[in-house]
Amino acid sequence: MRVWELCKRNLKETYRDPLALGFLLGFPLLFMLIFGAIFSGDETPKFAIGVIDKDNTPLSQAFVTEALAKVSALKVTTYEDTAAALKDLTFGDLKAYIIIPSGFGQQVSNNWQGEKADITLEMTYDESDVMVSEQLISIINAVARAFARIEIPLTIDANPIHIETKINYVDFMGPGIIVFGLLILIPTSARPIVRDKEKGFMSRLLTTPTRPTDFILGYSLSMVGITLAQIIIFIVGAWAIGMDIVGNLWLAFLIFFLTGLCSIGVGMVIASLSKSENQAEPMAWLFSMPLATLSGCWFSSDMMPSYIRAIAYAFPYAHSIDASRGILIRGAGLEAVSYDFLFLIGWAVVIFAIGVILFRRNMRS
Amino acid sequence: MTSRRAKQAKTGDLAIQTFNLTKTFNGLVAVDGIELNIKRGELFALLGPNGAGKTTTINILCCLLKPSQGTAHIMGYDILKQPFKVKEIIGVAPQETAISEHLNTQENMSLIGRIHGINAKELKSRSQQLLETMGLESRAKDQVRKFSGGMKRRLNIMMALIHNPGVLFLDEPTLGLDPQARRAIWEYITQLKRKKTILLTTHYMDEADFLADRIGIMDEGKIVALGTSQELKARMLEKNTMIVSARNLTQQVIDEMRSRYAEVSVSGETMLITDSRLGFRTIVDRLHSAGATVRSAHIKEPTLEDVFLHLTGKELRE
Repeated sequence: MRVWELCKRNLKETYRDPLALGFLLGFPLLFMLIFGAIFSGDETPKFAIGVIDKDNTPLSQAFVTEALAKVSALKVTTYEDTAAALKDLTFGDLKAYIIIPSGFGQQVSNNWQGEKADITLEMTYDESDVMVSEQLISIINAVARAFARIEIPLTIDANPIHIETKINYVDFMGPGIIVFGLLILIPTSARPIVRDKEKGFMSRLLTTPTRPTDFILGYSLSMVGITLAQIIIFIVGAWAIGMDIVGNLWLAFLIFFLTGLCSIGVGMVIASLSKSENQAEPMAWLFSMPLATLSGCWFSSDMMPSYIRAIAYAFPYAHSIDASRGILIRGAGLEAVSYDFLFLIGWAVVIFAIGVILFRRNMRS
Repeated sequence: MTSRRAKQAKTGDLAIQTFNLTKTFNGLVAVDGIELNIKRGELFALLGPNGAGKTTTINILCCLLKPSQGTAHIMGYDILKQPFKVKEIIGVAPQETAISEHLNTQENMSLIGRIHGINAKELKSRSQQLLETMGLESRAKDQVRKFSGGMKRRLNIMMALIHNPGVLFLDEPTLGLDPQARRAIWEYITQLKRKKTILLTTHYMDEADFLADRIGIMDEGKIVALGTSQELKARMLEKNTMIVSARNLTQQVIDEMRSRYAEVSVSGETMLITDSRLGFRTIVDRLHSAGATVRSAHIKEPTLEDVFLHLTGKELRE
């Protein structure tokens, strides 16, 4: 009863506060609209790429003709040698060229048969256009991975992975923006706790027969409710602006939900460590904004130096983006994202436990 | 005999008892061995300047803080051993107007009521009664962030009363309000007298003077004086002050008066004479004899401010 009353009160405090609600829902939606307006529609960017097939096997040829050439965002030209491709790249006629090394087909074949394989592609690109090269790496990566994993045309794989040949920027950005929205839950979760602490409302509640567990559950449940609403709104929003949902939506939802729980936990920790809203807000933003960038909300973390990637992957958000992109764009199943999934569960449990311990200690002091 | 009656028999007519109540923060003594006995139905005011330890005392009694030493009983329940029993029977209006800004008046009261396990029917009737008493009936459904300071203070008290507690703690209930709003709150508190045991903290002497049955003057964590307003002021009657308005207050006049009375100070044409025995006629005659022309003279009634000044050597700061 007490938990429900506290939960209801916290929800009302949130949806009746236009500023908080605007921040919570409006900010990421605005980003979606902006990116949607820029990158969606029929005007899919067409990137000219060159291919040098040094393997020259049926499989490498199939990779060029059946995979790369069918990506609408690519305009593929084959080259006999790298010098000619390099010249075109230097002249700006190409955005990048790929070298399919000798042995590529064999390695792909090994992979199909479940044997150990080392599939590599060499890619040289124009680094002056970061966003384009970033997209190209992502597209080539996605296409190569899809091609290498699927047994075509010989047999039907037991767990086929969808080849998404129309990966556009919205598809790529959608999961990142949703995770960014979930990162905003950090200040959103910290704010009501700190505000109640600062304005004496928590003290007032502590003079009632409310137990610490009631508080923690009351605050957490209201934030869980907000998280669920946020995920639904963002997924619908992303879909509305053109993000293709290829994989299991429920699995993606679960990934996002676990990410939200991590944010609530971090928010609780920040709220417990802060004495006022003025302390909590900068701390929360200082944590969430750099993480949004490092984790790949705006661009792929593949572009970053390894030590930065290591930092990013110590937190749940990079895992969430990887897993949700895998599921939503490439149609990956639970098996493919199991590591990220377990990492998120572990992080959520640990951070929630820390949050609860600190929160209880805070209430006692 | 019901358990309530048994408890009452055990504690006598005392609602709040403190036993060497002490609180230190990093070596700083905020509350210093307070011993209080507050009767059921009594309105007791803790009067003192900011930082005297009033709020810390209330916070300990409300089980928000644990004392460093000593303990207290609220209606016979020990604050250390039975904090949740204490929390069930007290109502607290904190110094900050601790209300939920985006909830309306009714919702704020309901939240506290439901936490105390009051059913919907009872809650409705109690909130209606409080809304009428406190004059917020027409604002029951309004979000409280739009309220004035006085209205928020009233709601603060209503939230403390919604579960009909036996003991009410009011921490600076009129802090920051204009005189009219303060007077309105005083009227509401007056209506509660005898029905509840009330412990009120304030740094306004007139508030303590107007409302309290007994006053404990607090300074640097200690109760330096305790009694009714009249009892406290009576201590000052040992020394009275006469305020004289006169012309020709020359140095000769001043010296003459200083040779006869304990304290004499002059500002312009006003002379303040303080002594244990002040004869109105005698003073006027002596001033005339010394060459001054007296225009008016009156004995100043002692105030709680004078009592505080007398006891602590400090003025009661706002």
